[in-house]
Amino acid sequence: MTDRHDDATLNLEGRTLNRREWLSLTGAGIVMAASSPGAFAQGTPVSKRGGVLRVSGSANPSSLDPATGGAGTDHTYLWTIFDTLVEWDYDTLKPKPGMAEWSYPDAKTMLINIKPGITFHDDTPCDAQAVKFNLDRGRQDQRSNIKADLSSIASVDVTGPLQVKLTLLRPDTALPAILSDRAGMMYSPKAVRDFGNDHDRKPVGAGPWKFVSWADNQKIVVTHYDKYWRSDRGFLGGIEFSIIPELATGLRSVVAGQNDMAYALPPRLKPIIEKSKDLNLVTGPTLYCLQLYFNLAKKPLDNVKVRQAINYAVDREAFVKLALSGMGEAATMQLPKSHWAYDPSVATLYPHDLNKARALLDEAGFKNGFELVVGGYTDQDSVRRGEIIMEQLAKVGIKLKFINGTVPEISGQFFGNEKKFDVLLSAWTGRPDPAMTYGLMYAKDAYFNAGRVEVSPELSTLLQESRASENIETRKQVFAKIQRIIMEQGLVAPLAFTLEFNAISKKVQGYKPNLLGKPKYEFLSMAG
Amino acid sequence: MARAFFAWLRSDLRAALSLGFLLALLLMSLAAPWIAPWSPTAQNIDIPLADADAAHPLGTDDLGRDVLSRLIYGTSATLFASFLAVIIATVIGVPVGLLAGFKGGWIDDVISRIIDALLSFPAIVLAIAVTSALGIGLTNGMIAVGIVFSPQIARLVRARALVVRQELYVDAARCMGASNARILWRHVLPNAIQPVIVQVTLLLAGALLAEASLSFLGLGIQPPNPSWGAMLARAYQNMEIAPALMYPPGLAILFTALAFNTLGESLRVALDPTMKR
Amino acid sequence: MLTAARRAVIRRRLLQAVPVLVLATLVVFGLLKLMPGDIAITLAGENATDERINEIREMYGLNRPFLVQYGSWLAHALTGDLSKSLASGEAVATSIARSFPNTLLIVLLAMGVALVLGIPLGILAASKPDSLLDRVVTSIASLGIAVPSFWLAMILVAWFALEWGWFPATGSVALGQDPIKALHHAVLPALALAGGGLAEVSRQLRSSMVEYLSSSPVRTLHAKGLSSMSILWKHGLKNVGVNLLTVATLLFNRMLAATVVVEAVFAIPGMGNLIVNGALHRDLPVVQGVVFVMVLVVITVNLVADVLYTVLDPRIG
Repeated sequence: MTDRHDDATLNLEGRTLNRREWLSLTGAGIVMAASSPGAFAQGTPVSKRGGVLRVSGSANPSSLDPATGGAGTDHTYLWTIFDTLVEWDYDTLKPKPGMAEWSYPDAKTMLINIKPGITFHDDTPCDAQAVKFNLDRGRQDQRSNIKADLSSIASVDVTGPLQVKLTLLRPDTALPAILSDRAGMMYSPKAVRDFGNDHDRKPVGAGPWKFVSWADNQKIVVTHYDKYWRSDRGFLGGIEFSIIPELATGLRSVVAGQNDMAYALPPRLKPIIEKSKDLNLVTGPTLYCLQLYFNLAKKPLDNVKVRQAINYAVDREAFVKLALSGMGEAATMQLPKSHWAYDPSVATLYPHDLNKARALLDEAGFKNGFELVVGGYTDQDSVRRGEIIMEQLAKVGIKLKFINGTVPEISGQFFGNEKKFDVLLSAWTGRPDPAMTYGLMYAKDAYFNAGRVEVSPELSTLLQESRASENIETRKQVFAKIQRIIMEQGLVAPLAFTLEFNAISKKVQGYKPNLLGKPKYEFLSMAG
Repeated sequence: MARAFFAWLRSDLRAALSLGFLLALLLMSLAAPWIAPWSPTAQNIDIPLADADAAHPLGTDDLGRDVLSRLIYGTSATLFASFLAVIIATVIGVPVGLLAGFKGGWIDDVISRIIDALLSFPAIVLAIAVTSALGIGLTNGMIAVGIVFSPQIARLVRARALVVRQELYVDAARCMGASNARILWRHVLPNAIQPVIVQVTLLLAGALLAEASLSFLGLGIQPPNPSWGAMLARAYQNMEIAPALMYPPGLAILFTALAFNTLGESLRVALDPTMKR
Repeated sequence: MLTAARRAVIRRRLLQAVPVLVLATLVVFGLLKLMPGDIAITLAGENATDERINEIREMYGLNRPFLVQYGSWLAHALTGDLSKSLASGEAVATSIARSFPNTLLIVLLAMGVALVLGIPLGILAASKPDSLLDRVVTSIASLGIAVPSFWLAMILVAWFALEWGWFPATGSVALGQDPIKALHHAVLPALALAGGGLAEVSRQLRSSMVEYLSSSPVRTLHAKGLSSMSILWKHGLKNVGVNLLTVATLLFNRMLAATVVVEAVFAIPGMGNLIVNGALHRDLPVVQGVVFVMVLVVITVNLVADVLYTVLDPRIG
């Protein structure tokens, strides 16, 4: 990596920042390409409005209704149209007020105070009634995909024109983070009623831009909403997303000047971006973790020594070098170094040690190795990763047999009822709150716990505890314990965190990557 | 028979060259472990996308694997794929065509409708659907391609069977008490064989291209085993950084398909004395 | 114009079309149903739970018996309702109406190139059989048929788009929106497709021309003093019109199938793209709809060809 980009990538050399350093960094907007002279400093009002940004989008949205969609790639589209009740800090993902502020009068009550003057794109007000409508819809509508996120809510009551009270079944301090995601995206109730079943193709939110059109697998167009409630964001006149799932092709379109930005690019395309005189390379750390999921109910993965052996056998540094062209962070747990809940002591559990791996396999009774059936995806990057891991594990006698297919097919077969494959080579896209991640992956009946195994009662208790307190320090301790159990038991083999990797035309200013890795455009403006 | 064969080869230079090329390929695929300089799956993580040099005459791919070795090992996968597809197509197509052409009547009508239906929409969709039903992999992909190609053979065989059915000697044989099966075997089949041989050779080229397309879409051979189509798919990913990777597998496919086609055309001329050059 | 004979041809073709249409869609539907996995898992998305997935299956009727699902689809299709994509909710008819022109533009352009270049090449080769010119043309034709179209596409992109920047590397523009830009985007994909077509046309034309040239009516023309070239262009073309039509029809069908991979290389949102994505994601309505339309198109093309046959050669039909 060149010096030019050292500023742009945070903490890949291994230094942990403590919270205070983190908070001080956020104000300076360091996580950006230093090569762009007009580099944006957060907080400086930009007077340049207008212009249309053309983006190469990485996937067709599953739905433009936040409650009925399901793909992690939807958020970057959704955020242009929908503002959320809660926002987060770009660098740490710590929640802060968005369209609303919140408080916990007691452990099982949450109060939401909506800011005044916010209207939806159809000019109806975003008030307590609207918020209640949305939360109830998320909890109860037949087509809602976010029921699980809101499952701790017993009832939603309007207690004032701009105030909503949530009564909870159990303490849940992950709710603010949840309300920064799909569940917090407010959709105009009038539009939902008017459009009926069509509404997920005609979104009406309260975000900086309003929806114009969506041609499937082709183009999404949004244009600025002139009554947007904030003046310090949303400068672009409009955004046009061209949907090009083949990422190298998407980059090609940016290089050729047909688009201004491409995101979520694989790092091996770095030389192409650097070769182009009109493009900036912007990177930032993310929570996106490439990892090997284990089905804990299948032999021999039910044996903890086998899982530990695999964790010793993978060479994470080599993986980063080959699969991510050196642009990534070796993952020793499911949180990157820059996250506030990261625990450095867990990081030392599994240095790359082939002898240790072989010894453990021997103890487990697999001196001559064994075969594992692995599910993988058919896109070329996934195939490459599979080939790299295959070579690495072959060195300790573990033979991997890959069965590849499309993402929904293979994931469905691994996590769903069919329970095919022993291992899944995939990724965890990351959630605003770690409690969400651990709950979705390790709770006994969680969907992403393929074996549907309760690992230990201790873990289950800790999972509940993590949502009980609002205090950051307390939660950090609990998460540290959870991480330790996960890694000591080898419940998963995390491989590497990817960097957010974007090619942006020099005409575009103000782009700031966020830790979730899903681009937001609220601070962008076009030069010239 | 052998003498006629060699006489034919001597007279038709192109056929001889094609056959020679194909035999060389076959030898190469069998001798791969001895002639390839490296293992096709050995990754050298220090030299990805290297230019051609003495150690790696065709350079390395994005995981540092030797392109030349992968090309050589890929020959067997590719040849196996083509032959499998064509064998399936023949095994399905010939009996179906015979049945339709010889029996006639409503059986023929139904079969002809099915053939029309299968021929009228994109083969690759059928291949995707069949592959997904059976599971992704080279063998299953080629079975799918074989199924997709079988209507072409069926149609050909049916046409010949129709013609032969009218022939007088078939009636004569029947008068003498020969069963249908015997008639099919001794009279219809030998007549239908020649155009089938030609078509089969041409279909080999088609199967080759189909394997490349399926692998390009990620539905063919599974990693880390090499096939020419899979190598092309990888090359596409790295087109801006290492465009040279496109040429070895592409040229290999081109020349092999060319050889199959040329052989097929020459066979067509050789086996049908009435055709003018 | 529409003689009794032609009407009979049209009527017969249309009658044959119906079972073909039903069979084709039934076969594809059956295969898709056989495939493991269904779209419910995709739809449930990142927050999936087992209950949610079952809920979705119920919602979309994916648990109903096979024939009920197919029958329901067929009934709607015959009234023009091709249903909605399960993945995105867009009406299938809308998706097709948007994608088909992109594919059609490339295929027609490719056919144009193949015919406009292939016919003269074939005639040239036929006018001097076994000459050097003939051998060159025949060799180029052989190469053209053997070249994988997506490899040709990659080479075209590498040189014409990336290296020299004469043409765009990706995407397409609707003809109605901006005809010049639309054509600009369509050139490289069309050339990639046309490679094989050009070869086929020139080869077929050459062989049928050579056959024609040695026939007896031609000998008379020679005796009258006409040169080979003028015979070929004036009389030859009319005579091989039937063959040409066959070739053109075959070409159309084959190119329609070949666009699938070419569209992938250029990221063109056409029919090929639509159906491959649909099949990979088990989006049944989309795949069914595209198959339906494609079969209709092929039947129509064959129908038109049949009628044209009777025009070219009144003896047929």
